[in-house]
This record gives sequence, C-alpha cells and structure tokens, in this order.
Amino acid sequence: MKGTDSLRRGILFLVIAVLAVLLILSPFLLSSYLIHILILIFIWSAITTAWSYMGRFGLVSFGHGSILGIGAYTTALLFNYYGLSPWIGMFIATLMAVLFFTGLGYCCFRLGVAGHYFAITTLVEAMVINLLIINFRDFTGGSLGLTIYPLGTAPLFFQFESKTYVYFISLLFLLLTLYIWKKIDRSNAKRALIAIENDEVASSSIGIPIVKYKTVVTAISAFLTSIGGIIYAQYMMILHPDAITGLHVAAIGVPFKAILGGIFSLWGPLVGTALYTGLEEFFRVAYGTRFIGWSMAVFGVVFIILIIFLPRGLYGTLDQIFQERKAFKADKHSTIP
Amino acid sequence: MLILNGLVNGLLYGGLLALLAFAINLIFGVLNVLHLAYGQCVMIGLYIIYVLTILLHIPFIISCFVAIVALVGLNILIHVSVVQPLLKTPLLNQLIALAGLIIVLENVALGIFGGDYLGFNLIFPAFAIGEVYIRISMLIPFLCSLAALAILWLFLHKTYTGLAIKAVVQDREMASLVAMNTKQIYLITFAIGGLLAGIVAACFAPIYVVHPHFGLAFTLTAFVTVVLGGLGNLLGGFIAAFFIGIVSQIGAIIFTSEIGEILVYVIFILIILFRPQGLLGVKVRSA
Repeated sequence: MKGTDSLRRGILFLVIAVLAVLLILSPFLLSSYLIHILILIFIWSAITTAWSYMGRFGLVSFGHGSILGIGAYTTALLFNYYGLSPWIGMFIATLMAVLFFTGLGYCCFRLGVAGHYFAITTLVEAMVINLLIINFRDFTGGSLGLTIYPLGTAPLFFQFESKTYVYFISLLFLLLTLYIWKKIDRSNAKRALIAIENDEVASSSIGIPIVKYKTVVTAISAFLTSIGGIIYAQYMMILHPDAITGLHVAAIGVPFKAILGGIFSLWGPLVGTALYTGLEEFFRVAYGTRFIGWSMAVFGVVFIILIIFLPRGLYGTLDQIFQERKAFKADKHSTIP
Repeated sequence: MLILNGLVNGLLYGGLLALLAFAINLIFGVLNVLHLAYGQCVMIGLYIIYVLTILLHIPFIISCFVAIVALVGLNILIHVSVVQPLLKTPLLNQLIALAGLIIVLENVALGIFGGDYLGFNLIFPAFAIGEVYIRISMLIPFLCSLAALAILWLFLHKTYTGLAIKAVVQDREMASLVAMNTKQIYLITFAIGGLLAGIVAACFAPIYVVHPHFGLAFTLTAFVTVVLGGLGNLLGGFIAAFFIGIVSQIGAIIFTSEIGEILVYVIFILIILFRPQGLLGVKVRSA
C-alpha cells in the first residue's frame, strides 16, 4: 500500500503547487474585473469561515454585521477625522468590535441565553449598530454612506490603486482563517464545544467550562470577522450601513454562503461563497435587470431544498461520501490481506 | 402636548404590534420554530391588496378578504414544504431555511413589482380631542386588531381545537401521549398564523407604503414584544406591545426615530439577559 500512498501524496503536492502558481500568477494575467470578483470571494470566504467557527458548534449568530460595522466604520472614521493610519486604527476598531460582540456574548453564555434566543439577540445587536450608524448621520454619513478620503497609492494608509496588492492581502487573510479553522478542528476545544452543543448541562457536570470555551470561540470569530470587514472597506473605499451591517448582507448572506458549501468542512464556506458570488455576478452580467429578483428567488428555493435534503452542504456532502468510501476501502484492505 | 400625542400614537401602534406579536408567539409556542419570514408574508399580503384595489379596482374590504385567504394558503404551503420536513433537524437548519424563505419571498416581490414604493392612496381624515390628533387610519386598524385578538382569545379558551393548541404549547410530548394529533395542530397553527398575517396586512394597508424589503424589521419588533411579554403568555404579550409602541413613539419624538428603535432593542437585550421569562411570564422548563 505504501506505493499508492506516496503516489497519492505526490499528486496532491503537484495539485497544490499548480494551484499556488495559478493563484500567484492570476492577478497579472486576468482582467481587473475578474480580479475584483476573486478579491470579493476571498474576503467574504474569510468572513464566512470565521462565522462557521461559531456556526458549526450550534452558536448561530446573525449578528456578525455588528462586528463588520464597528470594525469598518471605526477604522474609516479614525482615518477621515483624525488622520490615523488604518493599520493602527485596525487594532482599536477590532478591539472595540471584539469587546462589544464578545462582551454581550459572554453575558448571554453566562446567563444561559442559548438557541433561538441567542440568535435573535445577535440579530438585534446588528440592528442596533446599523441604526446607530444611520442615526449619527452628521458624523458617519448615515444612509448616504461614507467615503474614505482617497490618497492614491499609500501603503502606509492601507490604500492601493492597483488591485494586485489587495488581492494578495485578502488571499493571505483567507489562508489565515483556514489555518485557524484547522487549528480549532484539531484542538481539545472542538470536542468540548461539540459536547456542549449536544448537552450543555451534561457537559458542564463533567467539568467542561462551557462559558470559557464559547466565549473564546466567539472572540476568535469576531476578531477575524472584524479584520475581514476592515479589508473589505479599505478595498471598496466606500461604506454604507446597509452594505456592511445590513441584515441581508451579514445576517442572512453570510450564514447562507456557509451553509451552501457546508459548515462542517474546511473548504465548505469557501466553496459556498465562490458559488454564490460567482452565480450572482453571472446572472447580473448575463441577464442584467431583466431577471432582477428572479435569479435570487430561484437561488433561495434551491437553497431551501438543499437544507432539507443535504444539510451538510454541497462540499460537505461530497466530502462525506469520499470519506466513507475511503473508510470502506481501508476496511476491506485490513480484513482481506 | 407633543408627548401626549406620542403616547396616543404609541397606544395605537401597540395595538397593531400586539396582533403581529401574537401570531409569532403562537407559532413559536406551538412548534418551537421561529417564523422569520412572517413579515414577508405580511408584505405579500400587502402586494395582493395593492393589486386588487389599485390595479383591478375591487373594493378594499373584498380584496382584504382575498388577501387573508391567500395568506392562509401561503402559510399552509410554507408549513408543508419547509417547516414540516425540518421539525426534527438542528436549530441552525430551521432558522436558515426560514431565512432562505425571506430571500425567496422578497425576490419574488422584487421580480414582479420592482423595487418601487407602492402606496394605497387611501385617505382618511384625522380628528382632534383637545390638542391630541388621532388619525382615523390608525384608529380603525387598532379597533380591528383588538377585535381579532378578542376572537382569538375566545377561540383559544372556549373551543376544543383552541384548548388542544394550548395543551401542545404546555407540553408537546404529553399532548401526543394523550392521542392529540400534533401534526394537525401544527398545521392549524400555521393556518391561524396566515390568517393573522392577512389581518395585519389589511390593517397596515392604510398606514404604510409597501416595498420588497418591508418585513424583517416588523418581524424583529414583534419578536421583541413576544420575549418582553413572556413566551406563551397572551396577556403579557398584549401589555408588552403597548409598552413597546409607546417607548418607540416617545423615543422618536424626544430624540429621532432611530433612537426610538434602538431603545426598544436595548430594552430587549436587557430583558433577555436578566429576565428571560418576560415581564409577566412564569419560569418554564427550558428545552
């Protein structure tokens, strides 16, 4: 068996090498529109992966919009009004976002708010941040949006005219979130969180610190989501409360993408986001306004069918079938020498 | 005097909210499913009324009845096709499937009617008692919703089906043990939800303009009301609706309308943290 194993490893290595070369070369070969789509896919995949840290353990959050909003707006406002570089503002903003979301999350976990109630509480958090941004319109620009003061290419101020830089930044960020997913997947925290999801009372009775584990995973998720939001805002250069904290973007959109690909597997959120963004753009470009609404409606129906029949998501189901076949083969080899 | 006006407006708004919250309360209590797409059902109802009254020139009252029937049908369809297959699955799948339903309904509306704001152009006069101005267009829906709530209260307390629904709310397993057809109860509950959505749509028609992204904020406010009053507590939800209405309206008068809404949400977060059984609710078994 050793021969085929090393052969398989070689093929895997080759595939990864080819993919890496393609990913490094693509910003120099593709048109700037396609690079734009790739950047959007990278950023939102990273955010979706960060969401799935919580989602896969039954901590359903509809409130990641609040993190995105606090992160992106704080950075942009610090830069616009005080000239503070986003590289520094990022830390302040992320700290605020993490403190807000994890603080409220901690209260919820501590006082036993779970399930539907937790989901709705997070949804309300996102609404509050959205309304606050709209309300203080003299300062934040309100519903008219906020334009980040342009400087041209200024790497010290996180502004690039060329898409290539943002491409690599978002790619690296995506790889970081995937790496942390893997870390969590291999840690003790995963087992503890699965136990907590299955039965909170039983797992706390055998000494698992439920509040601690839940808070830590929430903090990690909030931290990465905030950074993702900041990269997105600095790339788009314009912020709008509904485009960042809006319920359709963050509360429904992000979980939607995650579930589409499958939240229980590493590549699931990435596959889901790529599919969603790709199809959305395809319909928009190919059919324009003629089918406005309808393409999304069909998408929604397909999505509901998917949830009912393939609850592990598209990639998750494929992965499961593949794993089962592998296990079956290994079983056969071990019993028949 | 402005404050007094706000108080009256809040009371009237609270009456509508009570109706909206009651339906969500009932569905959540019976099925333990959060009907996230409820506001979208109301939105579809408003569009039906719009088409019938404005485009086909059918009298308003008749088109309201058509909308109610259509919404009962829609809710039964939702129950059979989406909610029933997902009753035994994890929470995430239920919530996300209903969130998917939001996307479907909103985009169907967007596809058919476009994104414009459509108004009903029903003009009612306003009258004044002293310096308090009351809009008839708010008063009629308020009275309608009170009447609907009274009928529902009677239905839940005096008929066999109503009592069965209440029994399922109290203990699902025991209800099926004593040979109640829980599946049928679920279906009836969803149908009642559709009925109420139709009534809400008829009440909203003279007040609001309709657009595809109409519903979610209302659903959220309704859920805030439900939690504030205590889950499964009809009277609590009723009082909470008026409380929420008054807080949001007076907040809007003193500060801005956004602050009014923020106040409501902040109250919600505080309540859910420190008194999750609601203001009037009794502590129930969590499951």
